[in-house]
Amino acid sequence: MVIGAGGVAVGAEQQVRAGAGRVTRREVTRGLLASVAALALAPVVAASRPVPSADGPEGASFDETYRGRRIQGSLLTPLTGRAAPGGEGEGEWQVTVDGRPLHLMRRADGTWLSMVDHYSSYPTPLAATRAAVDEMGPGQRLRDLAPGPVGGSPAEHMHMEGEHGVRA
Amino acid sequence: MAYVRKDVSTLTRTERRRFVNALLELKRRGEYDEFVRLHIDYYTSDGEAGLRTAHMAPSFLPWHRRFVLDLERALRRVDSSVTMPYWNWTRDRTTTSVPWTNDLLGGNGRRSDRQVMTGPFAYSAGHWTIKEGITDGRFLTRDLGRPASPLELPTRSQLQWALDDPVYDVRPWDSTVPRGFRNKLEGWGSGSGSASLRNHNRVHRWVGGVMLGGASVNDPVFWLHHTFLDLQWYRWQRAHSSHRYLPAEPPGLGDPQHERIVARHQKLPPWDVTPDGLEDMSRIYRYA
Repeated sequence: MVIGAGGVAVGAEQQVRAGAGRVTRREVTRGLLASVAALALAPVVAASRPVPSADGPEGASFDETYRGRRIQGSLLTPLTGRAAPGGEGEGEWQVTVDGRPLHLMRRADGTWLSMVDHYSSYPTPLAATRAAVDEMGPGQRLRDLAPGPVGGSPAEHMHMEGEHGVRA
Repeated sequence: MAYVRKDVSTLTRTERRRFVNALLELKRRGEYDEFVRLHIDYYTSDGEAGLRTAHMAPSFLPWHRRFVLDLERALRRVDSSVTMPYWNWTRDRTTTSVPWTNDLLGGNGRRSDRQVMTGPFAYSAGHWTIKEGITDGRFLTRDLGRPASPLELPTRSQLQWALDDPVYDVRPWDSTVPRGFRNKLEGWGSGSGSASLRNHNRVHRWVGGVMLGGASVNDPVFWLHHTFLDLQWYRWQRAHSSHRYLPAEPPGLGDPQHERIVARHQKLPPWDVTPDGLEDMSRIYRYA
């Protein structure tokens, strides 16, 4: 990733982005959806055995009903070598609310925020998920796909001068 | 000649109507939703890999300065008399003061589902359907002051606390820094709970509903809020005229923030502009 890669024509940049395996949030979400299908296979099993608390550092999953909504989360592969200074044992969490993916983000201090509550952070994925449920109005469901870049970037339509696709 | 951005409470009836109508026209054309999506797409958190431009980074202020300016330009293409008003939340602090009036942004959400029922942006008025949302709700939501667990808008003294810091930003240039004007204004504190929410973040929390989520741009108060923050950057520059945007130079190869933040003379995606180029807006607009 190069910041401000000057001299790359916008057209060329689009081609690079199309072919360069740039993982967008949408693509990540597609992966999540596939995993959600797998999750759905075992809800009864999951509900009938104790799930380690995600409040503790060792927590690797949760599955509970919170305010009438089924919330499930599990730690995917613990990642190593990530740039974040956030701390130990960090990894990618896959979280759903009533079966729909909730995108979580990690803060540098190790806390978590969700797409629903983007301006506060919480100590654990479970706490961030519960907070998201608190903010979702009755009857509202997460959209099937979390928003993210898909197709052309909005910048193309907004006639911005040169988008240098540096988002990773 | 530079145009003037005004306190929304001082707008005349005609100015209010023209501002609202220009917003509705951008929404009708589909342009507004492109702004919503852009803001979602550029939210990269500092615990994750990748370049941060819009949040948890020094370029929080120039990124949003340019973002507001782009919307303002779009509004002015619709109606050249319109400029972006700001909401002074240190003064207009109640759930019924401006901008929560029927001639501006409408009022609070109703209790049952937080749906905004009044004003030009109410779903029932037919001009403001949410398309780029985190949930499938099609209507604008608000939860002003969060009655279930009340909190206050940031005070004048909390804003002053940010303005009094002469240093623009400090390493590691993220949401964990306890010093520097940028994060004191952006408002990432330590710990959980509302005590950790300051200035910018606290206002997003106070408004609640869609303003709290990744698609916060869906509530037009987003722009009035960020225009007020933009004014604070201008005030900070005037108060500390020997200080500038930091970092001046990109973090080096061994620095954990290498290629994760934008230094003063680096391009600020998605635009072909640098923080340096956004420090002085005096030829474009000024504040009343």
